[in-house]
Amino acid sequence: MSVFRKLAVPALAATLIAGSAWAENVKIGNIIPLSGPSATVGQQGKNAREMAIEEINAAGGIKSLGGAKLELVFADSESKPEKGVAEAERLINTEKVNVLTGCWNSAVTYPTTAVAERYGIPFVVPVSVSDKITDQGFKTVFRIAAKDSWWTRDQFSFLKDMQEEFGTKVEKIAFVYENGDWGKGFAGQWKELAEKGGYQVVLDEPYPSTATDLSPVVQKIKRSRADVLMLVSNAADAILLTNTLAEYKVNLKAIIASGGGHADPSFLKAAGKSAQYLFDIVEWETDVNKPGAKEANEKYNAKYGQNLTGEAVDAYVAMYVLKDALERAASLDPAKIREALAATNLSDGPGMIVGYDSIKFDATGQNENASLVMVQVNDTGKGLERITIWPKSARRAGYTPVFPMPEK
Amino acid sequence: MLYIIEDTINGILMGSIYGLTAMGLTIIFGVLKVINFAHGSMLMVGMYVTYWAVTLTGINPYLAIVIVAPVMFFFGYYLQDIVIKPIFIAEKNVREPITVIIVTTGIWYILDNLTLLIFGPQYRSLADNPWRSKMLEFGDLFISVPKLYGCIIAIVTAAAIYWFFQKTSMGRAIRATSMDREAASLQGINQYKIYNLAFGIGSATAGIAAVTLVPFNNVFPTVGVLFDIKGFIIVVLGGLGSIGGALVGGIIVGLIESVGPQFMTATWTEAIVYGLFLVVLFVKPSGLFGQKHDW
Repeated sequence: MSVFRKLAVPALAATLIAGSAWAENVKIGNIIPLSGPSATVGQQGKNAREMAIEEINAAGGIKSLGGAKLELVFADSESKPEKGVAEAERLINTEKVNVLTGCWNSAVTYPTTAVAERYGIPFVVPVSVSDKITDQGFKTVFRIAAKDSWWTRDQFSFLKDMQEEFGTKVEKIAFVYENGDWGKGFAGQWKELAEKGGYQVVLDEPYPSTATDLSPVVQKIKRSRADVLMLVSNAADAILLTNTLAEYKVNLKAIIASGGGHADPSFLKAAGKSAQYLFDIVEWETDVNKPGAKEANEKYNAKYGQNLTGEAVDAYVAMYVLKDALERAASLDPAKIREALAATNLSDGPGMIVGYDSIKFDATGQNENASLVMVQVNDTGKGLERITIWPKSARRAGYTPVFPMPEK
Repeated sequence: MLYIIEDTINGILMGSIYGLTAMGLTIIFGVLKVINFAHGSMLMVGMYVTYWAVTLTGINPYLAIVIVAPVMFFFGYYLQDIVIKPIFIAEKNVREPITVIIVTTGIWYILDNLTLLIFGPQYRSLADNPWRSKMLEFGDLFISVPKLYGCIIAIVTAAAIYWFFQKTSMGRAIRATSMDREAASLQGINQYKIYNLAFGIGSATAGIAAVTLVPFNNVFPTVGVLFDIKGFIIVVLGGLGSIGGALVGGIIVGLIESVGPQFMTATWTEAIVYGLFLVVLFVKPSGLFGQKHDW
């Protein structure tokens, strides 16, 4: 026994030393809001990253680096741009991280990516939607999620695909949106897209989100005889509009919402049957028909007590994108990692649970294949729920979207 | 042409409900000479009381008035008695009790945030509510049933309060205090008791307004804010302290909001309402039905 121990200890020590000399851990710096107004989202991002890292390390780490393990270093941005910048400096200079990720808040990501660019450290942005993040001409920034302007782009691509799939023609579109920055921004893009798509805009109506009665707006929608109604709403007005549309029996072929109030957890409950057949755009939905998505969501739910969200999925996938790039770079040299990231073309394997088919970065570092997901609110026997229908490859198995909506 | 009729009807119905939400504000101002900034929050509390009364007991949402109005009366009565009265007493030598206004603002924040803490930010609406999307249909002309009921309740409430103030001795005591609190005190009227009563009545009116709103609206912690600012505009428009004025002011706002969007975007009608508010302040500061004399 003692002989065995005498032999075993040095042997173990030798392998450990050899191992560590060979496989230096890869340090990933993550700047996310862990306190302050966006702390909930930040925490989701942290959980998702930790879950992905656990899986990657358990599967043997980075094989081309001798089984190097990924190590996460978290820094709290508090949703403050200046904090993000300071933390980036600290992570690069003191913690000596090999790559950075973050920061969710576009306002933080924007200046923070500039720090990484200066040091030449690759910066993976799982999700920060502002267009300008990848419009800076930076070499080290890689964004996985779709950018702001793609939300409206995808709403129109969806509309086009639906018309082809179901052979129903849509000519007249009505735009109704909350009169803030968000609604006006969407409406501006819609107008351009409608013109390009050859649609006729029959109503362009901003309304105050604080409205206590939306029947006048609904009447205008009814009179416009639009085929499709496109909405941008906050929570209270989304519920009010949906109910009032049902009350006045407005016949439309489709209602396309833009997340926000329509994606609010209380929306379905409060709007009830009036919300049936509504289309909404989201980053990700738990029922996307992708291998591993269901399992990942179940695992995440068991671990953290909530479902995966779009933000969490982007963070989760970001770790696999990094793993893939590190594997190909076979080096911890930032320039080599950057090159490997730029050459990413990830379409399968664990972690690819996004609604679209592959991840590939264009010259600006934007994932050119990213798209959003469209859902339809319907009841398939388990009460009203959000069912993924677009892109078609992610559609819930066995579900046929209802388009156009049945007449009232 | 039909839609103009439809919008006019909708404006009158919705407007009288706005008038009802503002009625408590005008009663409290008329007697206490204090703008109650917590009025929207009291409306919100009333909506939660209605929501839970209906959800827990399953009674008809309109019958909930018999629960909500007394609950809200005592809520207002003791809110004034316990929280606001001490400030009044401390400031009894001051002609304009400004501190009380600050206290009501404090109550507003406390109520809204307390509700947020207890019930969360969810939007609630009555489950299996037959009134929610009930419409009277005359061909292409649609009239919302819950709004129609709301309008009837508003008119009945206004008439009842008017009768109470004119015909009962307690009503006369309240009016006496509202005209001159010192003189009323000299006649043996307990000024603070009257304040409690007025606050209670104002609060109960907010409760009745809440009952009319719950069948077709959502209940959430900041719902009062939506009606609050509208309420201030309505009472100034109709004349501070005037019950009929609140109703008329409400209908004017309702009509602008409902008919206006047929000629412009809905955003503009908000600007028109505020513009009218300013015009009234310039031209007739006492409002359409306000008394001329100095408060």
